[in-house]
Amino acid sequence: MPLLENGQIIQDTWQIAVEGESLPTGDVLVPLARLSEGLGRNSDARLGVVLSSADDVETLRDALPRLDVVALTFPVFRDGRPFTQARALREHLHFKGEIRAGGHVLPDQYEFLLRCGVTAIDLPEGADPAVWQRAHEAFTVAYQPSILNEQAEGFAFRRRLA
Amino acid sequence: MDRRNSRRDAEGTSVITANRLLDGRIVWLAADGQWATLIQDAKLFPNSAVEEALKACNARAQEEALVGIYGVQVTETDSGPLPVTSRERIRAGGPSVHPDFTPDWHAPHPAPYA
Amino acid sequence: MSHSPSAALPVGHYAYDDVDRTFLKQRVAQFKDQVERRLSGALTEEEFKPLRLMNGLYLQLHAYMLRVAIPYGVLDAKQMRTLAHIARTYDRDYGHFTTRQNIQFNWIRLEDTPEILNVLADTDMHAIQTSGNCIRNVTADQFAGAAADEVLDPRVYAEILRQWSTLHPEFTFLPRKFKIAISGSQQDRVAARFHDIGLIAREGENGRPVFEVFVGGGLGRTPIIGVRLRDDLPEEDLIAYLEAILRVYNAHGRRDNIYKARIKILVQALGTEEFLNQVNAEFAAMDRARYRLPEATVEAIRARFGAPDFAPAGNAAEKLAAQRKADRAFDAWVHTNTHPHKQPGYCSITVSCKPAGGIPGDVTSAQMDLLADLAERYSFGELRITHLQNVVLGHVRQDALYDVWQSLEKNGLGEANIGFITDIVACPGLDYCALANARSIPIAQKLSSRFANADLQREIGPLRLNISGCINACGHHHAGHIGILGVDKRGEEAFQITLGGSAGDGDASIGQILGSAMSEDETVDAIARIIDTYLSRRTAGERFIETCRRLGTAPFKDAAYATA
Repeated sequence: MPLLENGQIIQDTWQIAVEGESLPTGDVLVPLARLSEGLGRNSDARLGVVLSSADDVETLRDALPRLDVVALTFPVFRDGRPFTQARALREHLHFKGEIRAGGHVLPDQYEFLLRCGVTAIDLPEGADPAVWQRAHEAFTVAYQPSILNEQAEGFAFRRRLA
Repeated sequence: MDRRNSRRDAEGTSVITANRLLDGRIVWLAADGQWATLIQDAKLFPNSAVEEALKACNARAQEEALVGIYGVQVTETDSGPLPVTSRERIRAGGPSVHPDFTPDWHAPHPAPYA
Repeated sequence: MSHSPSAALPVGHYAYDDVDRTFLKQRVAQFKDQVERRLSGALTEEEFKPLRLMNGLYLQLHAYMLRVAIPYGVLDAKQMRTLAHIARTYDRDYGHFTTRQNIQFNWIRLEDTPEILNVLADTDMHAIQTSGNCIRNVTADQFAGAAADEVLDPRVYAEILRQWSTLHPEFTFLPRKFKIAISGSQQDRVAARFHDIGLIAREGENGRPVFEVFVGGGLGRTPIIGVRLRDDLPEEDLIAYLEAILRVYNAHGRRDNIYKARIKILVQALGTEEFLNQVNAEFAAMDRARYRLPEATVEAIRARFGAPDFAPAGNAAEKLAAQRKADRAFDAWVHTNTHPHKQPGYCSITVSCKPAGGIPGDVTSAQMDLLADLAERYSFGELRITHLQNVVLGHVRQDALYDVWQSLEKNGLGEANIGFITDIVACPGLDYCALANARSIPIAQKLSSRFANADLQREIGPLRLNISGCINACGHHHAGHIGILGVDKRGEEAFQITLGGSAGDGDASIGQILGSAMSEDETVDAIARIIDTYLSRRTAGERFIETCRRLGTAPFKDAAYATA
């Protein structure tokens, strides 16, 4: 699947663990249930975890230093829990790696995701990256602080968006 | 969709309704396949045929710029189909508290976009 | 010249600057783009719906309905004229004031909406987050900044919350809608305990405000009185603490059942103590410096509010007293429709939008223009919409009341019924609303006509009558001394009566259902018999709600279901 990162479409080199099969060699994303299996892998390849929107990110606390990617999943775009998961990963757990958002995500949510700490989007096949870029540039100001620590815009909580 | 919109007896007669995407106004599927603003022009379906007709309408919804397509059970009267529920009678006739706002109401002074 | 720097600022609400205006125009452009993507099929109806709702646009029974935000219920004369212009140009010449201090237009076209939003933006208005599962318009005391009993002006904090919640990156796809109310008076006029979060501000020991925080209240299908989470939240922690509450809610609120998705259900399920523990854990773990609300920020926002430049009282009070003596009808109106002001020589006026037999909360574009004119001439250009669907002129000189009253009288806005049985709260009901089970307006009109006699209303005294067309309770029926709930009986409309509800003043209670549903006319007759029972059984000076509490529902139930 195409991955949108910093306004660029890049080819996703990560593999996703397949249920009932042993983990592949190379960079792999595992579901939370197979995290210890992934951590126990004897490999230099990178490891990431895929969370469902119901998972508690707190359970990753010990494993996070060994993870390169946390992938969040929107079962439907209206399920806003991944926003809180992303923000908690950054603000509470100080995760510095990549946070992806996938599943049913709308371009209209892109800027919110970025401001909650998401760094890459698993775009649906055939998605128009121009629409996502437009969504990213739609606003030049926000009205509250975010984990991106944007510059103040005048007074109060206003922040200047890049 | 509102569960009330799919309440239909096994027997009986229904018409098919929707809202137009662009202006939100209520329309009724007429015999010629067009969507009319007056329920009097609506085509009658036996309830047993409604589901299939809805399927066909829903397949064309985007192209015909319609939303919320569903069937409305009616009784046949001299003045045309009359919905059996008060909700659908209000939809068909306009708000009861503004008798002037019938489905074919027009602004006395046309708005600039008209 | 001793011109104060705030002279040019609008009185009563935050003054936008270029940054805020640019933001509104960007929001309009975004919506225009979303509409185009919907028309092209790039967005499905399912995807588009929440996006249009977050711009206040519903698809109702007959057409689209646009709900325009009136932040903390305050707007200026210019903005009121914009609303009149929208009613005339894009709707059917009227608007409807809501129980959340907003205004709704009932006959809007989707294709006109970007243009309408643009027109609104030209006078610093919008429809952002007036619907959808996000933080809604923050409501405040309708006498804010004017009431004699006020401790501090809540509007500055309502504005801070409005800005903070606007397009909040984390809280725009919540399990369900989220409503915040704030009052700066110990007389709770905002129904703080019936909100997802209710805040009551008072002065703290260091001279800065502290907030009493209630959470998990609400009406709707499961009416619950909110629980107190904090008694004295410091000003600087206000935003951080609300972030903590919202985070717990966003992470754990139910998403599997729309009827159990409000925060009140989560608070009930966890229990107050566990909910509080989770909020406190979040509050302790978060980066508090980031969310701190410094005094300087509060003052920066406060500096964007204009304040009325009051004139000395002079002999205003004497003049008013003489006018009241000379005109009995005027005297009755002053008695019911004015509220004490902190400034000598002034008072606040509540303009009734509940004429006998009329539609509660509906005003024509001509009436909106008149209200704008009156605000400009007599109340520093400021207007407020109340959660009881009336309009307040906040700061009127006592010696101008007679002129104002005469203008209102001539234009169908002079009803002397504030707080009386005909000051009915009603949602739009099945005449307009796609969710409703029964019509709210016709029964309101019948009751309002039935009790139209001024002497009878005075005799009955203070009585809150609230009508909702369905269990979602937009008409706040549970909070009415008498509540009416519209239900669907196999496709026909019917009504249940509730008794003994109350919204505020520290005695919030939820109305009890009297019995099975009746037809519209039966319900009107039943309420007349309930009133007769009250009049015959009350003790001297006892208000309706007090008699209800003393006697319980039984005698009223007997009266309601008594057949001739």
